Amino acid sequence: MNVEVTDLTRKFGRTRAVAGVTLEAGPGVFGLLGPNGAGKTSLLRMMATVLPPTSGALRLLGRDPGGYGPRREIRRRLGYLPQQLGYYPGFTVADFVEYFALLKDMPPRQVPRAVAGAIEDVGLGDKARVKLRTLSGGMLRRVGIAQAIVNEPELLLLDEPTAGLDPEQRVAFRTLLREFGQRATVIVSTHLVEDVAAACTEVALMDAGRIVFHGTPAELTARGEGSGAAGDAPLERGYSAVLAAARSTVAARS
Amino acid sequence: MNGDDLLTGRYDNAGPHDVDLNRVWLGVAAQVWCRRPGPVERAARRLLRSPGLARALVTTPSLLLGWVIATAVVLIAGAGFTLGTGQPWVALLAPAVAAVGIAYAYGPGIDPSWELSQSMAVGDRMVLLVRALTVFGLNAALGLAASAASGAAAAVTFGWLVPMTAVCALALAAATVTRSANVGVAAGLAGWVITILADQTAEGRYTAAVTDPSLVLPYLAFAACCVAVVLFATRTPRGTQ
Repeated sequence: MNVEVTDLTRKFGRTRAVAGVTLEAGPGVFGLLGPNGAGKTSLLRMMATVLPPTSGALRLLGRDPGGYGPRREIRRRLGYLPQQLGYYPGFTVADFVEYFALLKDMPPRQVPRAVAGAIEDVGLGDKARVKLRTLSGGMLRRVGIAQAIVNEPELLLLDEPTAGLDPEQRVAFRTLLREFGQRATVIVSTHLVEDVAAACTEVALMDAGRIVFHGTPAELTARGEGSGAAGDAPLERGYSAVLAAARSTVAARS
Repeated sequence: MNGDDLLTGRYDNAGPHDVDLNRVWLGVAAQVWCRRPGPVERAARRLLRSPGLARALVTTPSLLLGWVIATAVVLIAGAGFTLGTGQPWVALLAPAVAAVGIAYAYGPGIDPSWELSQSMAVGDRMVLLVRALTVFGLNAALGLAASAASGAAAAVTFGWLVPMTAVCALALAAATVTRSANVGVAAGLAGWVITILADQTAEGRYTAAVTDPSLVLPYLAFAACCVAVVLFATRTPRGTQ
């Protein structure tokens, strides 16, 4: 398993953003669904080794990110797209992707071709020499995806990757995700259920810091059948039904 | 045969059916798009033995050409005032200018991609260290040149290096702990101004802060404490397993 999370918790003051999450993920595309504030971003940031957990165990690519050496090794094989991608306005697309390829410790001789490949993969070949300050939000998102995939990561973590992408770009992006999922573990945090339906082999639904569902998109869809839950698409109804059930359970307990 | 062979003409035995245009294009794009490292970056690569660290160094905001020129202009003006008034302006200005540069070397408020940088194999602590040391070194060199040009006495020429270390360490510690370069600048400048005024009050002259030998040890002790704070604030989080 490339990701092994056991009873992981993260607190910010008195708030438990992630409250005892346990999950495993191997190769494939893993969707992390949930409403705003469910804890998806905090969980993803812990997996990206950016945020240390408050308690619990985390193993990534068979290594413990708590030690310097293993963490560095994980980071060489990691691709991460944060929710808020900061960028250097004066950098070109190629400069930006190259900068992070170098920070990922890629062998310098491999970098130019890897950068070109990543930029082409996200369809920004015609913008490679353009400064980032001139790009639209959707294009900047694709630049973020390019830097995440430039090192052919074994673990790819994407936080709201399709935010700002137009429908055509989203379709292309899902194809890219499926390709990556054949050889790597891809974890996509999103609240767009159509992304999950189209690209994910597994899905976990988070609410209030906990995982309230873990299964396949088909199983999530099945939860919504005949439930009368709100939603335009079958998967949305499954999402609503699971959330409603989880919240009523919590309410009953309290 | 690969794209590089096509580019260099080494495809004598290959037929046209062997051409993979995607691969050829990637080879061309790789050559055209990627930036050639400049002489400073090449030197940094050799010195640091890390292309990533070298690139992180040359993107330091307070090492960009405009910033360095601004620093030089301030110090040259200080040298001019020193020559004109006989007061050690360079000695008083150099620590302040260096503190501003150090505070703006690295951090979430300065580095737009700081969150992303934290997930990189080249550690952010190493980037911070290399950038801070380089900014310090450059400011010290510029300050020494300006000080020498101003014809100040030897005690004043070198006296500000130790206080500059303390002021820079304070700015770095404040910027690191609060994750704000502006707070680092404010702390560094405020600390330096308070020190100058306090020494002026105690000894009756502005230059006491840079000429009094009894202050060297307190400056160094203070700098060591600030460095310890920086190390603590950027320590590796453990206990995840």
